[in-house]
Amino acid sequence: MSKRYAFLLDMDKCIGCRGCAMACKNFNQLQPDMVWRQVYPLDESIYPHRDRAFLSLSCNHCDNPACLAACPTCSYEKRPDGIVVHHQETCIGCSNCIRSCPYGAPRFNKAEKHAEKCSLCHERLDAGLQPACVQACLTGALQLIDLNAPLPGGLVQYPAGYPNMPRLNPSTRFILPRAPRLARR
Amino acid sequence: MKKSEHASGRRDFLKGLLTAGAAGALGGIPGSLLAPRRAGAAPFDPSEYQVFRNACPRNCYDTCSIKTYVRDGVVQFVEGAPESTFTKGSLCVKGYTYPRRIYSPDRIKYPMLQEGRGSGNWKRISWDEAMGRIADKILDIKKRDGNLLGLALSKYSGNFGITNNCVEGMMSSLGYTSRFVGTPCWPAGIDAQNYDLGDMWCNDPEDMARARYIIVWGANPAWCSMHSMKYLYAARERGAKIVVIDPILTQTAAKADEFWQIRAGTDGALALGMARHLLDRGLVDQDFVSRCAVGFEDFAAYLRANVTVEWAAERCGIPAEAIRAVTEEFAAARPATVWIGYGMQRHTNGGSMVRAIDAFVAMTGNIGVEGGGVRYGHLRTWGFNFHAMLQQPPEGSVGFTGATGPKGEFDFADGAKPAAYSDRPLNMNKTAQEILDAKDPEIRMLWISCKNPFAQDFDRNKLEKAFKKLEMVVSVEQFFTETVRHSDIVLPVTTLFEEWTVNVSYWHYWLSLNEQAVKPMHEAKSNLEIAALLSRAMNAREPGSCTFPQEVDGKEWMIKEFNKGIYEQFGLSSWEDLRRGPAKARMASSASWHDRKFATPSGKYEFSSELCARNGFKALPEYVEGRKATAPFRLMTPHVQFGLHSQFVNLDWMEAFYPEPFVYIHPRAAAARKIEDGAMTRVSNAVGEVVVRACITDTVPEDCLVMYEAWFRKLDFNVQNLVDDCAADMGAMKTGAPGVALHDQFVDIAPVGGGR
Repeated sequence: MSKRYAFLLDMDKCIGCRGCAMACKNFNQLQPDMVWRQVYPLDESIYPHRDRAFLSLSCNHCDNPACLAACPTCSYEKRPDGIVVHHQETCIGCSNCIRSCPYGAPRFNKAEKHAEKCSLCHERLDAGLQPACVQACLTGALQLIDLNAPLPGGLVQYPAGYPNMPRLNPSTRFILPRAPRLARR
Repeated sequence: MKKSEHASGRRDFLKGLLTAGAAGALGGIPGSLLAPRRAGAAPFDPSEYQVFRNACPRNCYDTCSIKTYVRDGVVQFVEGAPESTFTKGSLCVKGYTYPRRIYSPDRIKYPMLQEGRGSGNWKRISWDEAMGRIADKILDIKKRDGNLLGLALSKYSGNFGITNNCVEGMMSSLGYTSRFVGTPCWPAGIDAQNYDLGDMWCNDPEDMARARYIIVWGANPAWCSMHSMKYLYAARERGAKIVVIDPILTQTAAKADEFWQIRAGTDGALALGMARHLLDRGLVDQDFVSRCAVGFEDFAAYLRANVTVEWAAERCGIPAEAIRAVTEEFAAARPATVWIGYGMQRHTNGGSMVRAIDAFVAMTGNIGVEGGGVRYGHLRTWGFNFHAMLQQPPEGSVGFTGATGPKGEFDFADGAKPAAYSDRPLNMNKTAQEILDAKDPEIRMLWISCKNPFAQDFDRNKLEKAFKKLEMVVSVEQFFTETVRHSDIVLPVTTLFEEWTVNVSYWHYWLSLNEQAVKPMHEAKSNLEIAALLSRAMNAREPGSCTFPQEVDGKEWMIKEFNKGIYEQFGLSSWEDLRRGPAKARMASSASWHDRKFATPSGKYEFSSELCARNGFKALPEYVEGRKATAPFRLMTPHVQFGLHSQFVNLDWMEAFYPEPFVYIHPRAAAARKIEDGAMTRVSNAVGEVVVRACITDTVPEDCLVMYEAWFRKLDFNVQNLVDDCAADMGAMKTGAPGVALHDQFVDIAPVGGGR
């Protein structure tokens, strides 16, 4: 069976440092204002302390990608290993994909007038390396997993604060964060 | 995350045509115009790059070993060196901005002269003209005063690359000058650990993974030593409990098993209460306190007479039952360790608080134990030659004849031959006051390098006044900071990728080479080349007026820093071994003080320190009350994960994640002041004021406001508008000046502009 690559975010380990997102800019040489990965603090209704637990999200490399379906120039491709690749060279910048993705993965590059998004560093994967963001994660919170291989228990597909889109079947999986016991004045 | 407003958008007509299935079907037809393209990108090939070894030289626990990928003479990207088990292939969010820093359009490109300080009327000048003007001024000062004490150096931790000590060397090569000594960072704790243990020497942080119990006390590694988090997590996976003690519910606290939100400045009371409970429950390691320590009976008598758990609970705000429980758990676990953060000692009673925590850990016998210890920092891997620093003054130089001490924690020139004159020490933590007060001679000229005084020195308004007294200010910088705005001449300095040096940490035990990876951009020069250029200009005007070599080679000077001791400590046959990756010190044990031979006068752990008493403090780690509040809120101005002091936050790459500062305020405090979330506020005290947006959060105590220090290139935000230069208790012994009580600051807050 072929692989189905996916990100696993252990929110219990994630410290919201944005190292993943900056490493992505660093390796992929993004425009100064562009990000392919963003780190979103959880709302206090989800995690009790403000800015202390996070969703680090890029492209979810969905099973049924809305971006691919919406693209008039077929600039999206889903590889057999599950990676959704966007081809900037044929993108006409119509932004259909940007409007279609409920996760905000494709973004508009104003300088070059096209959409772009996380490639899951397939050039690195093909060379036997980890994606830049995964290599950068210094707590081990962000990992690359294969959804077609046996998975650890306790994984969640739709944590609170993350759009529930069963039709797209996003590949990213999560481990939920715990909060400390408090002694305070 | 916010759900996209287009989440359910199905408005695009093409969408109807090209459902996922249809696209797949079309794509399957050979020759179709709409055939999806194949991911044709070639796999990433590291062999297409030249790889250089670099090291992050910022004032950071982690001092990362960097691998730099260069193609066509351009840094393409950076990554963490996998050879270091500490860096372990990952940089931090700051480190990954380095490619942008080198090529930032904001970089200072050539020497510039500002006609009218603060006017913004900058004009480009040549290096020759810049150095000529500077040399003329130095000679003018010497002529007027008969010495160079009117020339002062302001330098600290902007770049810890060892060869950057050539700036101090350059000053020495001119004669005897004035030097801002001390450190705003960690001095009270350094002296405290010296009184107790005889030196500041921490266990290898990598051995925290073996701890069975960890108290992170006033440190926030999730932001300030991110690479250490993996050891905390590893310890927990092996069953350890993690307790975080901090006035702020930090990111580290959120990852703890238990978080104690202590009243700031009462850590000493808490530690003493815990020590008293050890006594009461018979949990003291009798072997350690009797055989390896002195003064324990006196300390025990002090505790019995003056301290109870309830007394401690009342002061620090932590329930007595929680104090008892954690004390018992800590004593039962072995090894157990405390990590003392630097924030914890930035108080008027900071050194005494560190001594109290040291004493608590010592009583449990965890000192000298692998996975244990009371961790603060170390300078055990800094045994370089300091060739760049140790330059001789010109013959006949006249200098200062008063009392002097060390010029900072990195002053390794001890034991140099006694001279008739010395440099004049000025307290770095009172930069503004020292400039205002200096007499015979006055400070006439300031050379600034590896430092941004207007971002880091206390009482910004006073500093503004002080700078008006200066006849010439020279800044060596990469960006147009607020300090550059207050300068006459700015000299563009290289980034770490454009120079040779070598780096070590004050936390971990790795040594990293820093190779020149690319040619300097624009007209930037290293501090070393600048020193040589100045020497040339000085000697052209007055032969013999500067002893600094006029021709320098950065690589040669880097090599000159190595010696047999370093090679042996790191198991190197040559510095060139480091081209294959960083090296770790070879240690008899991962534990500091593993043989329990302490460096104190008694050779033992000193619960009672005569040296401490001689220096004007109590011999025992007694309770010392903190600074009295002068306004309704305590203000704390610690580090943010996006910056290292005033560096990194100014980069546009960082703005993508951290565009704006806030004042963090508790919901009840905000409600009482009618401050809404996101509203503009004015935070003020006798020092000055800051106008900044409010962020309402329960992570800060109700009687505290928090602002993270940073320099935003487009904003007028500066926490030093609110921080005075009140001294901490200790620090003068080992660093030349006491620390600064920068977390003992008090302010008020009010909404501005109707609160929105």
